Amino acid sequence: MATARTNALYVRRRARNTIAKSLAYAAAAFGLGWLVLILGVLLFHGFGGLSLSVFTQNTPPPGSEGGLLNAIVGSVAMTLLAIVIGTPIGILAGTYLAEYGRHDKLSSVVRFINDILLSAPSIVVGLFIYEVMVAPMGHFSGYAGAVALAIIVIPVVVRTTEDMLRLVPDTLREAAASIGLPRAHMIVRIAYRAARAGIVTGILLAVARISGETAPLLFTALNNQFWSLNMNAPMPSLPVVIFQFALSPYEEWQKLAWTGALLITVTVLALSILARSLTARRT
Amino acid sequence: MSEVALNETNVAAGTGVTRASVLNRLRTTDAAFRTLTRIAVLTVLALLSGVILALLIGSVPAFKAFGFGFVTTEVWNPVTEKFGALAPVYGTLVTSFVALVIAVPVGLMIAFFLTELCPMWLRRPIGISIELLAGIPSIIYGIWGLFIFAPFVQKYIQPFLIDAFDGVPGLQDVFAGPPYGIGMLTAGFILAIMVLPFITSISRDVFDAVPAVLKEATYGLGCTTWEVFKHVILPYTRVGVIGGVMLGLGRALGETMAVTFVIGNAHTVSASILAPGTTISASIANEFTEAVGDLYTSSLIALGLILFVITFIVLAIARYMLLRLHQKGR
Amino acid sequence: MSIASSNVSMTAPVASHTGVNAAGLAEKVSIHNLEFFYGDSRALKGINLPLYANKTTAFIGPSGCGKSTLLRILNRMYDLYPGQRATGQVMFDGENLLDASVDINLLRARIGMVFQKPTPFPMSIYENIAFGIRLYEKLPRSEVDMRVEHALRRAALWDEVKDKLAASGLGLSGGQQQRLCIARTVAVKPEVILFDEPCSALDPISTAKIEELIDELKQDYTIVIVTHNMQQAARVSDFTCFMYLGDLIEFDITEKIFTAPTDKRTQAYITGRFG
Repeated sequence: MATARTNALYVRRRARNTIAKSLAYAAAAFGLGWLVLILGVLLFHGFGGLSLSVFTQNTPPPGSEGGLLNAIVGSVAMTLLAIVIGTPIGILAGTYLAEYGRHDKLSSVVRFINDILLSAPSIVVGLFIYEVMVAPMGHFSGYAGAVALAIIVIPVVVRTTEDMLRLVPDTLREAAASIGLPRAHMIVRIAYRAARAGIVTGILLAVARISGETAPLLFTALNNQFWSLNMNAPMPSLPVVIFQFALSPYEEWQKLAWTGALLITVTVLALSILARSLTARRT
Repeated sequence: MSEVALNETNVAAGTGVTRASVLNRLRTTDAAFRTLTRIAVLTVLALLSGVILALLIGSVPAFKAFGFGFVTTEVWNPVTEKFGALAPVYGTLVTSFVALVIAVPVGLMIAFFLTELCPMWLRRPIGISIELLAGIPSIIYGIWGLFIFAPFVQKYIQPFLIDAFDGVPGLQDVFAGPPYGIGMLTAGFILAIMVLPFITSISRDVFDAVPAVLKEATYGLGCTTWEVFKHVILPYTRVGVIGGVMLGLGRALGETMAVTFVIGNAHTVSASILAPGTTISASIANEFTEAVGDLYTSSLIALGLILFVITFIVLAIARYMLLRLHQKGR
Repeated sequence: MSIASSNVSMTAPVASHTGVNAAGLAEKVSIHNLEFFYGDSRALKGINLPLYANKTTAFIGPSGCGKSTLLRILNRMYDLYPGQRATGQVMFDGENLLDASVDINLLRARIGMVFQKPTPFPMSIYENIAFGIRLYEKLPRSEVDMRVEHALRRAALWDEVKDKLAASGLGLSGGQQQRLCIARTVAVKPEVILFDEPCSALDPISTAKIEELIDELKQDYTIVIVTHNMQQAARVSDFTCFMYLGDLIEFDITEKIFTAPTDKRTQAYITGRFG
């Protein structure tokens, strides 16, 4: 074996293996490193600006101190409305795909379309809503923003609902049918209950997704530097405020932008972790 | 269970409600529910059609005015109302290309690490951490890129690249120009980090699906871990990996906020990737609300249409490949 | 007197019950006090066993008896899975191949394995074989061609594939794929070939062809075969080792095991009373 060990070809092979393995470790460190770097910087800059006034004062005019209250409230309002609009449509559509039309042609087409919508550029969604809501209405509005966000929610919920319902074993469905329970009732009372955690996870993921979306709001809800609860007028939102403040030359605005970014990131990560732990508990 | 027999039985509660009426009610709600789900599904269909239609209608003025030369013109002048999509399209393609050049090898190596090298107890935490990168909203990448990364690139990376390629024929122009910090390379790099988790996650799934016996057979010949990966795992999972890469590409193409902050927003086509430029989504994001005049707005919508078409094609290919993978049972 | 219960040193010739003298047979691999653990649970208990050069030894026994586990120790396949470990000695060419200092890749080049499921690589038929050759030798294309042809002839596959060497290995039938795997293993010039139930996924005709093959390969290699098919063991092997619940119950010349086994349990198994 000793002579074979010094075989030149083998030595080269072993060297290549070692190099490749080191590169793989380096790649993993690279990926993790960026995560740490980005989150670290975010915490550092955002935390510094974190104070009670962020949650109690509205966005200030350039050059003055203030908070993000109206932006937070605006974001929450539009997110809520988007979920209220998008979730039922998403769940019902997902239900059709998993229960009624599992193998029919319509379903294959819809699945394809859903996948496209899922990964489509969100700015295009913004353009769409601008054309069908903002332009005809003649003004920007929180409603338009919410509908744009709803369009982003729908594919996420459709996907997870279908996947989760598919996981429910058919034997459960057959058992329900055998006591005479009609399809719809079986779905609502049995399948939904069985897939409940998964469907909720889907909704949480959708919320996480739209919490950080800026592009679809840019020309639907626009922005508003004052406190406003009027959904029929331009509505402030955290992401758009961050966009505006970060690109400005004002230091107070930039500080608020970092803090806003921190708030969004914490929310999104918390929701993702919550969603993950829900599905993990089931398995 | 005939209707007749049911009609003759009364529910024991004695409220006068017959089993038949209960069943009738159940049947109508059943049909109603089914119809509802159908409507929902048709809504999804309508949404996509609506988007395409809205984009088409909105971009008609622009295409009428400029014809298909719109796609090849670099000029972008709101004052003279002459618009051309070349710079945004070029920027979109270049930044996405840079993103893939970085993210694909790194993503594959991370997936290799996670499936073959990483100790079992570390696999989930590291896997989840990489996926968290995908969850960070793009505006965060944007603001991080603008304030932290771009200055760093300006101070260290760009001067290094400019010097390193100075005098190298061909590449000198690719890495030329004053170090702005922002620019297509910076945007491409940030896109790479955003796309990385997608490629890693899908690659990891397909690598895990390689049958253990096939790997054992390769090890059985005396192959090293790297050789097993390169000669067996990668070829075996080729289709899935490409699907994942296409998905990542789809994301990179449509990415708006991260790119808008660091691309420089210049409607120019430069040979150097260190120069500022623009992408389709960055142009729309920056200019739409201030676009005055129908032609300006329509040109921006036309850009949106072009982006949508490109993304649609890429996503369709990705889906096709991933579907083929599942059908083969691999 | 079966080897399992004898205290005779492993290097001494074996005296078997029927009086056939096994003296003069070289031991290619000698197993002493081998124990194997999946985590904390012990799967193999104190195995002592010789594997004679240029002979075929079969491992038989009911499901879960440890025969595959034992086979997979011989080429350190368990190394791929953390939590699995072996203690004891498996002497091969003067070295204990269980030692951490042994170069596993080189070991596996000398002790090859054919698996239950045919495992052609995702490459052309030619490449499947050439790949292994090129791992260890830098040869000009013409020589590689010759080696590939030689390996395919050895595996009785040459005539069936010589016109489609560039086709994918996955396009072959199950039996052909398995013969391709055998050719691939043989091309690397091992000294020992391990077969882990090589025919269980194949039809009877392919099975017959492969059994024929194994018989021929014996001339140049030491063969170890795990099989749950007793008739196959009887047809193909020179020595048989019966295992049960992680113990080596009886080891002897095949003919003797199947006609006049010493242990009651061996008797029960080969007559089909269990397993």
